[in-house]
Amino acid sequence: MQTPDPLREFDLNVTRRQLFGRSALGLGTAAMAQLFNDQSFGLDKTSPTSHGGLHHAPKAKRVIYLFMSGGPSHHDLWDYKPKMQEMFGQDLPDHIRDGQRVTGMTAGQKTHPVCPTKYKFTKHENNDEGLWVSELLPHTATVAKDLCVVHSTYTEAINHDPAITYIQTGSQIPGRPSLGSWLSYGLGTMNENLPGYVVMHAKTRFAEQSLFGRLWGSGFMPSEHQGTLMRSQGDPVLFLSNPKGVSSKDRRAQLDALALLNQEQYSKFADPEILSRIKQHEMAYRMQSSVPELMDLSEEDDKTFDLYGEEARDPGSFASCCLNARRLAQRGVRNIQIFHRGWDAHGNLPREHESQCKDIDRGSAALIKDLKRLGMLEDTLVVWGGEFGRTAYCQGGLKRDNYGRDHHPRCFSVWMAGGGIKSGITYGKTDDYGYNIAHPDGTPMRPKPSKEKWTPGTMHIHDLNATILHLLGIDHRKLTYRYQGRDFRLTDIHGHVIKDILA
Amino acid sequence: MSLFFRWNLVPLIIASKFLVISQVHSAQDEPVDFAREILPILSNKCFACHGPDSKKPSQLRLDSFAAATADRDGVRAINTDKVQESEILFRIHDKEDPMPPEDAEKQLTEGERKLLSQWIKGGGQYAEHWAFVLPKKEKGKEGIDDFVSASLKKEDIDFAPEAERSVLARRVALVLTGLPPEPSQLSKFLADDSPEAYGHLVDSLISNPRYGEHQARYWLDAVRYGDTHGLHLDNKRGIYPYRDWVVKAFNDNLPFDQFITWQLAGDLLPSPTLEQRVATGFVRMNPTTAEGGAIPKEFQAKNNFDRTETLGTVLLGSTMTCARCHTHKYDPIEQVEYYKLFAFFNSTSEGSMDGNRYEYAPVLRAPASGQDWEAWGVLESERVAILEEASKLSGSVKGLDKKAWGGSDDSARFAMIIDPNGSWKGQGLQSRAIDLNKKTGEIQKRFTTTLVTEDLKKPRETKILQRGEYNLPTGDPLEPGVPAVMGSLPKEAPKNRLGLAQWLVSSDQPLVSRVLINRIWQRIFGHGLVRTPEDFGLQGEQPTHPALLDWLAVEFQESGWDLQHMLRLMVNSRTFKQDSKWRKEVQDPDNRFFARGQTYRLDAEVIRDIGLWASNLLDPTMGGEGVKPYQPVGMWSALMHPASNTKKYVRDKGQRLYRRSIYVYWKRTSPHPMMTLFDAPVRESSCVMRSRSNTALQSLGLLNETQRIEMSRKLAERLIASSNDDSRRLDFLFGLLASRKPTDPERKVCEALLSKMRARYELSQEDATSLISQGDAPRDEKISPTDLAAWTQLTTIVLASDVAILMY
Repeated sequence: MQTPDPLREFDLNVTRRQLFGRSALGLGTAAMAQLFNDQSFGLDKTSPTSHGGLHHAPKAKRVIYLFMSGGPSHHDLWDYKPKMQEMFGQDLPDHIRDGQRVTGMTAGQKTHPVCPTKYKFTKHENNDEGLWVSELLPHTATVAKDLCVVHSTYTEAINHDPAITYIQTGSQIPGRPSLGSWLSYGLGTMNENLPGYVVMHAKTRFAEQSLFGRLWGSGFMPSEHQGTLMRSQGDPVLFLSNPKGVSSKDRRAQLDALALLNQEQYSKFADPEILSRIKQHEMAYRMQSSVPELMDLSEEDDKTFDLYGEEARDPGSFASCCLNARRLAQRGVRNIQIFHRGWDAHGNLPREHESQCKDIDRGSAALIKDLKRLGMLEDTLVVWGGEFGRTAYCQGGLKRDNYGRDHHPRCFSVWMAGGGIKSGITYGKTDDYGYNIAHPDGTPMRPKPSKEKWTPGTMHIHDLNATILHLLGIDHRKLTYRYQGRDFRLTDIHGHVIKDILA
Repeated sequence: MSLFFRWNLVPLIIASKFLVISQVHSAQDEPVDFAREILPILSNKCFACHGPDSKKPSQLRLDSFAAATADRDGVRAINTDKVQESEILFRIHDKEDPMPPEDAEKQLTEGERKLLSQWIKGGGQYAEHWAFVLPKKEKGKEGIDDFVSASLKKEDIDFAPEAERSVLARRVALVLTGLPPEPSQLSKFLADDSPEAYGHLVDSLISNPRYGEHQARYWLDAVRYGDTHGLHLDNKRGIYPYRDWVVKAFNDNLPFDQFITWQLAGDLLPSPTLEQRVATGFVRMNPTTAEGGAIPKEFQAKNNFDRTETLGTVLLGSTMTCARCHTHKYDPIEQVEYYKLFAFFNSTSEGSMDGNRYEYAPVLRAPASGQDWEAWGVLESERVAILEEASKLSGSVKGLDKKAWGGSDDSARFAMIIDPNGSWKGQGLQSRAIDLNKKTGEIQKRFTTTLVTEDLKKPRETKILQRGEYNLPTGDPLEPGVPAVMGSLPKEAPKNRLGLAQWLVSSDQPLVSRVLINRIWQRIFGHGLVRTPEDFGLQGEQPTHPALLDWLAVEFQESGWDLQHMLRLMVNSRTFKQDSKWRKEVQDPDNRFFARGQTYRLDAEVIRDIGLWASNLLDPTMGGEGVKPYQPVGMWSALMHPASNTKKYVRDKGQRLYRRSIYVYWKRTSPHPMMTLFDAPVRESSCVMRSRSNTALQSLGLLNETQRIEMSRKLAERLIASSNDDSRRLDFLFGLLASRKPTDPERKVCEALLSKMRARYELSQEDATSLISQGDAPRDEKISPTDLAAWTQLTTIVLASDVAILMY
């Protein structure tokens, strides 16, 4: 904050450069900023401490984000378009495509034949007019009453790298902090023995896109806000285990000596950072028991495995990641992401999506049911979705039972459940081709993200992120981080909280 | 209030000290400094609506005196005739219709209102933002300490006492070479009481090749050097000769103006040398993609956004990004100026997609190792010598076509000299040249490719891209040009990258030398003089010592852009040599007064290198393809596309495990975890200041990672081999890591741990053997497993402690 007032300048620098750096376990950042009356966070001055340092009372204490990397097909999972069946193979009408830029992969394709799904959709009772779900997601269908399925999510990016980077960092170009690190920055952590922001990579048979460190990286924020990978191979947390031949008792003795050496350095230099480092060594020691305890499923009852399936015993499976997510949530970890790759079905969509859905269906549903039975769903936000949808037209050869679909940014389906979200509803509508977001009467519309105006019935990815932050008690316009002279936000200058879907 | 008391009180006490200062200021009614005090308020609180990017032409603008004082229907924001009637004065205090408006995100503070009032009452004069005014040396002050002591005097404090000599030796070695002093170097220095001793130490550090490696690392962060393309498949990219050239340039002390010129435009220099062309890898350093479906035109734009904005960060200390879509909100940079700068890069010849290729053309063949760079350098000098001599002799060589000779460039002349049937036949010079040619050919066989920059024959057209959208070009084609507020291209300069470089290093350019010297100061003193090294614009921080920054910037230029000269000035200063202990009487946690030496956790690379060095594992081999030390399994495969050629991490064996960290393979989507854990940037975008975090995961890395255990064991072996006496071994250990002997408490702690561990491993030889069998480095079988394990346990923690990883 460049003000000529040294008091403020100093406060802010203390706030940013030191306190954040020195308080990995401290209050949430917003709370600290509040302490220093930092306007860049736009704090609610009328009620200084009523929301635990957040901008407003949170509806959710934590978020579990199930990210389907590659772009799941809304046509084959969520967005029921019976009229497309009659249009099989016909060219997509021009007024529907309406100048949409397409990727280099289908730009040269002479025709764009309508490609109806081969899967059967069934209507499931929810708290509204019912939810159509494809037969690929039988388990998820059973929690229809808990889901809010948004059919009108949209983005501008048309390729994976920019689109994933966009939805996870708010910018298509690398360099920004990820959603998770914004949350880490805003929320702090509630558990002193586990990392505050945990990322898992679930196994897939179709690892067809890359993931990037930037998706859970901290960009220009300090690295303490980067996601901690919870791995299924080797140590669950990097370098967690003592070397062979070193017992926990040995390590205790080492750390005691280390603390004394550091104390001695402190007496020489009086840099408080040295003391803070002693604390971090102690936290590491505690993590060495809290993480194995977390990963130890022996205390879980049969009911758990009835829900998640035996697959949950297989480390790295999506089901096991979901179970871990629940266990992390129980232990106070507020910020959990599971990345599942392989949704990029340009060809052979049925074969690939069947396998993908099998990976994630039961685990996703189990997570909802499990959180519910533990009374945690009401304050846990669960989000499921990818970076874009897939085209209504076929990429490559079209058959009734085999086809492929290209990337599609104009509409895709995302669901949310739990803390603060209306349960059992659908939101937003697409046209008869699942190609454009549509007005209630079905006519296509072309919303654009705008700072001033939000188009009712739509959810741009910035809106999605604004809504996630909102539910956690954070005003996306006020959670800022100064870098390069600018107060950066996750939602850039955009984003509107979708109030229609809030409980 | 409860929050208030839960917090550490230190900042509040400090704050109150500053409060006193600011009150003193207004009480004295000193004239307000517009650039330092007012412009930042206007920028931060007003310019979003009333700044360079005002949306409506009718909107009041406050970014110039003329606009602010203009009569607008009888109302003047600043009324110079009747200052009391200035609309600003009225509105900033108005309850009914305040400015900023009630719902504005950024409100004025009371102090800011006061300052604005004081400024307007004083006439509301404008001045240019400090960073856009050419730096000048303030008269009457010579050297760093004059400036620092003047500011200390204002605070009524003095320099801290000088640090102990041993501590100073460690500090200066770390800032110059990234390693502690060699034991022999240290003892020589400590034994020499003469006033020249310190200067000799500095000389020997600067002449060590480790110096160039360490200095180069900061530049590689800034230019976002990586060994992979960065996007999508993140495939391998062949560009490490550029990295090795940067190291060489620092070791050669290549003047910084040339360092910059070669990187931006080496290819456009007359008869460019190999080095000059390799240096243009700088322009190619942006992340690239070849994702199926990506649109080439879109990436043509994106690649050049990245280059334009990186140039802004690295050399101009200016945030260009805003101006990509609209005129800058705060700084006086118009959108059209952004695209003029963009135009310098828009005519490069490489495709906008990398094709997932290692040799993403244009490429050049260049030395593939530090050794070959050196050998190449020797041959190049010989070549120059031969050509010089040939020039002298040319008049007397019989049968030489004088006209052809005169009109030929160096390479044509060289061809004439070695022509077996040419006029140089039989001359001694010819056999030297032939010999040289043969040797050159041998080295060239080992050359590898590196990405370089070339321009298209016909420049690509550049237009403004509306909202930064590649498919919305608008207006007339633009010529390359520079932002007016930063000066103008020199008259003779060509309108291409070479002209850009000439402008950047000209003495009429206000930013470049300031921005560079600030970062050099930052790495020597721990913090910059401007604490936002990436932003010298209106939203950046003011320099803590503006006159010092300017003095250094001018000195840098006047010295012929001599980095080593500047580093010597810095490390020889009293400011640098102060004790690092935090002073009770000086409340200055950020060391803004520079009233003590620095303390901070060392960078990832330095932490690793110190361990390798202390254990004698460090392999001094320089350059070459990135090395792959131990890394937990599956870190790459868990992320990567099956078609990526970086999906499998195959770790190296042998000496390559122990090379300096600057040579660690840099995969941008997943750099080595021991680097990123300690705040190394991923290098997808420019980084000119690393954060310094402090986390539990770092502790786990320091104490458990394979290479840490291996280096601890080898260090233990070295200590055991050095003496039979534990006490002497401890002296050696602390001598290596802290350049001093252990204190009594340290000695006791270490001895206690040793005896505990000896007893423990005596009872379990199996555990002892397990511990000391980690890592590939062979174990000294003569040492008893108990002893080695116990010492390894100790060295692990001393290496992880702030004795070793803290700068002090």
